[in-house]
Amino acid sequence: MADTAGLAAFDGDALTAYRQKALACVLPKTKEQVSAVLKFAGEEGIAIVPRGAGTSLSGGALPLADAILMGMGRMNRILEIDYENRCVVTEPGVTNLSITRAVEVRGFYYAPDPSSQIACTVGGNVAENSGGIHCLKYGLTTHNLLGVEMVLPGGDRVRLGGKAGDGGLDLLGIAAGSEGLLGIVVEATLRILPKPPVTRTLMAAFRSVPDAGQCVADIIGAGVIPAAMEFMDKNCIGAVEDYCSPGYPRDAEGILIIEVDGVAAEAAHAAERVTEIAKAAGASAVTEAFDENERIRLWAGRKAAFPAMGRLAPDMLCMDGTIPRHALPRVLIRMAEMSKKYGLGFCNVFHAGDGNLHPLIIFDVMKEGELARAEAFGAAILQLCVEVGGVLTGEHGVGVEKRDLMPVMFTDADLAQQQRLKCAFDSAGLFNPGKVFPTLSACVELGHMHVKGGRVPFPNLPRF
Amino acid sequence: MISAQTEADVIDAVRDARAKSRTLEIMSRGTKRAYGRPMSCDDVLNVSALSGIVKYEPAELILTVLPGTPVAEITTLLDSKHQRLGFEPVDWGAMLGTATGKSTIGGVLSADVNGAAAIRYGRARDSLLGIRAVNGLAESYKAGGKVVKNVTGFDLPKLMCGAMGTLGVLTEVTLRVYPKPPQSVSLIVRDVSVEDGFALLRRVWQSPLEATALAYIPASVPITQLGYVGEGAALIRLEGAHEPLKEKIAALLAIARSAQPIEAANVFDSISRGTIFAGRNCDLWRVSVPSSEAAGIVRQMGSSVFAADWAGGSLWIGLDAGGNGAELRAHCERADGQATLVKADEETRQRVAPFPPEPAARRALTRSVKAAFDPQNVFNPGRMWKAV
Repeated sequence: MADTAGLAAFDGDALTAYRQKALACVLPKTKEQVSAVLKFAGEEGIAIVPRGAGTSLSGGALPLADAILMGMGRMNRILEIDYENRCVVTEPGVTNLSITRAVEVRGFYYAPDPSSQIACTVGGNVAENSGGIHCLKYGLTTHNLLGVEMVLPGGDRVRLGGKAGDGGLDLLGIAAGSEGLLGIVVEATLRILPKPPVTRTLMAAFRSVPDAGQCVADIIGAGVIPAAMEFMDKNCIGAVEDYCSPGYPRDAEGILIIEVDGVAAEAAHAAERVTEIAKAAGASAVTEAFDENERIRLWAGRKAAFPAMGRLAPDMLCMDGTIPRHALPRVLIRMAEMSKKYGLGFCNVFHAGDGNLHPLIIFDVMKEGELARAEAFGAAILQLCVEVGGVLTGEHGVGVEKRDLMPVMFTDADLAQQQRLKCAFDSAGLFNPGKVFPTLSACVELGHMHVKGGRVPFPNLPRF
Repeated sequence: MISAQTEADVIDAVRDARAKSRTLEIMSRGTKRAYGRPMSCDDVLNVSALSGIVKYEPAELILTVLPGTPVAEITTLLDSKHQRLGFEPVDWGAMLGTATGKSTIGGVLSADVNGAAAIRYGRARDSLLGIRAVNGLAESYKAGGKVVKNVTGFDLPKLMCGAMGTLGVLTEVTLRVYPKPPQSVSLIVRDVSVEDGFALLRRVWQSPLEATALAYIPASVPITQLGYVGEGAALIRLEGAHEPLKEKIAALLAIARSAQPIEAANVFDSISRGTIFAGRNCDLWRVSVPSSEAAGIVRQMGSSVFAADWAGGSLWIGLDAGGNGAELRAHCERADGQATLVKADEETRQRVAPFPPEPAARRALTRSVKAAFDPQNVFNPGRMWKAV
């Protein structure tokens, strides 16, 4: 596909501030076609940008004007369901949720559940090492991924991992979260889990945000690992109540939605402990969803946080940093100060169990300077995350969005080592160039020459 | 032998080795020196003094330690806060004929040795969140992070697990830890065949009981503690608080009516450690296969020396000493699995590739990755394969 209308359909992803048409777009249906395209691209020196469903929030699938965009959506068959060995072998274009849909008849599910799970694909999940709300207990994509078949730059195919691993270097661990920089996944083997028989959902309301933070720490400290533990602040509660009235207390400074699961007695035991701990931590109320409808309603509010905030302003930036849980009160206070400084509203929703923050910054791109201010506000939040011992991204990936912030977390030597690994897969630098790394550098320099003072060569090389 | 006390010492040692084109064997307490291909390095870099707890935050479920810290020290520390490592690190010292009780966390991670509970909590690589390390260019770097949820940059910590020290020298590791359930019970199902035993373990694994050990022992590998086992015994470990555990046991009895509680908590450890094979004159192979294929492999090989962990997904198989394992590897390949030679004499480990041979495209990639970390082949050259 190389016509303007066709390319326009693939001109970006869910990081909507950036748009770019590709040189051409290919939509392969088989592994062989992927290999053939990559062989051709390698010979001609043409860059490749892989794309799943284009739901990346960090610009991972943003096309380049001089690169082929490879959309994997037509490789959309589940190849094997192996209940005996609790795994599913699938093509990369299958959506995340269809894996669970395919195995739930037998009481199984696929654990990673990013919010875009209706649309996002398995291949994209592998590239971004996608998370979701159940990561503390059930892990990210990488913990639920047994193997992949990957086409390398140049067209060679390799198997990394498998139903029983591969006994070599853990290159599968590197492939997960590699953001399309190392190769294209054409097949993935996923672990499926037996669905817990009982799930119970509680809501605790707090008069102060630090109390909520303490409650989270106390629950984990008491040896309870909830399946999910989500925090929403007052701004967010108000927006969500206006939007879909899930029944959250408007007067609370913050709420926690806590889900526990397991066999009946296990869920009961955990629910009891959580209730005690929340009350001791100063919760003004702890309620439990009494039936499935009520449970869905409680979650509906959390899941509507983005659209609800979206009604308050035309544009929204969703950030994604992780912090150690004990730093929570300090970070929340600092973010409120920043909001004043940058003159932009925001709200806080986050995966409290694993300390993964998702501040939503609201702005209006039509107003002079607001986009720049929103981006600066976002960058300041992520710098704060690193400052308190956390990381730049918990689940959305670096992409183009956080590329220039990488030096906040990593030294030149840290980044040079990462780039040397990239070169081991892609010596010509053709895969998703301009993503993840703040500086483009020639592999030959990184690999074979001394990197003086830790500085990578060609710091002024233009970025695509 | 060069003894490093600090990361700076490691950097100096590597810089020096690099300048003089010398190779280094990376060693801590040396309990697994007899694992992998024999090497003849110019020097030994001893990192056992890089030991100690850097930071333990029980409420964050995070532990940062220096890699030379003994596993026993970590276990004691975590135990004091009712926590533990999920992958249940294993000490291979006794099996490999070296010291027992001395293995360090860096060695366990580098060799990727996992115990019974890994079937529930994942392997060492799933718990290693962050590292500091020194590469073959004598540069220190960090990767990963000190929080559970992190996707910033390539996940280099995972790559270090099981790399046998061929990619660099770890100088700090950050691990996630898990709460230790208040109670644990082991149950035995006696007199089951390999086929029936593995199928039973799989049914438990497919159920929501979250068993933390699923093992099988044949009559030919006697364990006094278990008493009569008939043809063989399936062993299951369930954990939880009092009431949940009662419910889990009841649910297990619905799957396996004859299951009986037994005082045998250390049986799982002795299986992972391979000490149940003490005194047998055979080579020990570790086989990873999809569980449903495991009984077939056991039957095809016909060896009476074997045991299973992870519902059959991880097998020990003892074969005649000095063999080349070709038949075992062929069966494993057909079963979508692979076999690693863990215990054999030096001559055999020199002659037979202990780690699974790789297909051509994959081999080329492995070598490029090695070169990306250690271009001059300073670290443990040939420990995994001839070129790595």
